[in-house]
Amino acid sequence: MDRRQFISQGTAALGLLSGLSNPAHAHLQKAQILVIGGGYGGATAAKYLRLFSNNTAQVTLIEPNASFISCPLSNLVIGGSRTLADLTSPYDTLSKRHGIKIIQDSVISIDPDKRIVKLSSGKVLAYDKAVVSPGVSLLMDSIEGLASANKAGVTLQAWKAGPETVALHKQLAAMRDGGTYAISIPEAPYRCPPGPYERACQVASFFKQYKPKSKVIILDANQDVVSKGALFKKVWAEQYPGMVEYLPKYNVTAVDAKTKTIKFEIQDDIKADVLNLLPAMSAGEIAVKTGLANSNGRWVNVNFLNFESTAQKHIHVLGDSIQVAYAMPKSGHMANQHAKVAAAAIIAELSDWEVNPAPVLNNTCYSFVNATEVIHVASVHQYITAERTFKPVPGSGGVSPGPTTLEGVYAWGWAHNIWADTLG
Amino acid sequence: MQINILKRPWVSSLFFILIEISGLCYAQSPQTLSLYHRSLAATCANCHGTDGKGVVDGGMPLINNLSSQQMLEQLKAYKSGAREGTIMPQLAKGYSDEQLEVISVQLGKK
Repeated sequence: MDRRQFISQGTAALGLLSGLSNPAHAHLQKAQILVIGGGYGGATAAKYLRLFSNNTAQVTLIEPNASFISCPLSNLVIGGSRTLADLTSPYDTLSKRHGIKIIQDSVISIDPDKRIVKLSSGKVLAYDKAVVSPGVSLLMDSIEGLASANKAGVTLQAWKAGPETVALHKQLAAMRDGGTYAISIPEAPYRCPPGPYERACQVASFFKQYKPKSKVIILDANQDVVSKGALFKKVWAEQYPGMVEYLPKYNVTAVDAKTKTIKFEIQDDIKADVLNLLPAMSAGEIAVKTGLANSNGRWVNVNFLNFESTAQKHIHVLGDSIQVAYAMPKSGHMANQHAKVAAAAIIAELSDWEVNPAPVLNNTCYSFVNATEVIHVASVHQYITAERTFKPVPGSGGVSPGPTTLEGVYAWGWAHNIWADTLG
Repeated sequence: MQINILKRPWVSSLFFILIEISGLCYAQSPQTLSLYHRSLAATCANCHGTDGKGVVDGGMPLINNLSSQQMLEQLKAYKSGAREGTIMPQLAKGYSDEQLEVISVQLGKK
């Protein structure tokens, strides 16, 4: 038999076997699977655990928010061309269409030995498998004065789409023409590598239309633009000449809320009218609290074949919280891809089948450089058995040649489809 | 020859199949293989919809009107550079020919 035969046989044989009894399936059906966090990673995992088990796995999703708000595309809200409502999807399709039990609550602790989870409501849930997808925590204490400045609304992060996203747009709209918006970027890794640069474009696009004497200053702790560098620099030079100033190796150490002054490790202080300071990030709080963040105390090391934490058995961690493989971005798209590998592995494990030895991931990140034109970065990551990690495939992936409105259409196409794939 | 997989009858008595992945051989049941194949095809779903059923009028080209044969031809054309595009030529180059075949069988119009 050649490789082509096995492909068609493997696919067709499912139909024949679906009617046969299988003791392993009984084991799968009894298992309680808890998914903690309903973002791109968690919601996708919940849905695909049901799909890949042919709706036999018992899946509960625990998520504090009533609805899903997309971080990708939220820079358009800051730029004023979209509203948060455009980026919001309900969770209830996951229960209605896929039979997932949804609990709107927060997890306050996980006991990996007893395999139980405590919720803020006081409820205690037992699990056979836990999927932890809590996104990132913003380390506000990494910048002196940031926690109180942010609490007072003097600085904003708007790195988790929601009220701060709207508030940041309002601050920009209220700013005098001739004012300065400053965004600071922590050292990589952080959530959404091209996100800060896209945001600078969106703010510049808003200024160009409504406040043309204003400035955008990008204060980057990194050596250079982390993602799509040449493309972003070209856009700043050609679409926003004299408006966007990019300052690499500017590591913010403190902020003075009273005078709106930003202080740096090396350079002189800078004042701005609207301050958007992004601190260093770590795995989501519950992952750190559970002792899963065993990579520099910040990120979670996982086995890339099943995304199980290397610190605790039966806890699978997805998305932005993990210690990424080489050239693997912390993106919503990637979290969705992690979720499918993890879901397939969990179903295999609970069915006493071998976990897929050769999973694949891909990534696509679109960035809007104004309200309609878009650039992308894309990559494919194959699992390398000998190295036990994912690596980008040489010769694959890449970026756009330049911004186009066609990619603007595709970016919205991506959004509608990934929201449907994650939540629909 | 490339298209034969889509037409060739399968052997119902075969319960365990040796597959070749990354140069290693594993014994797999058809159920296991089916799961691998579904999860491989699911890497396309972010942009083209769960099980290839994309959002109608969502802005992304729909693929669920293609037969498996047409899909495989297009994926291979993206991979070879014969067909131009924005993202697909870059992504198709990251998948092996076997993986593109599996994806086409999984997502092609039934």
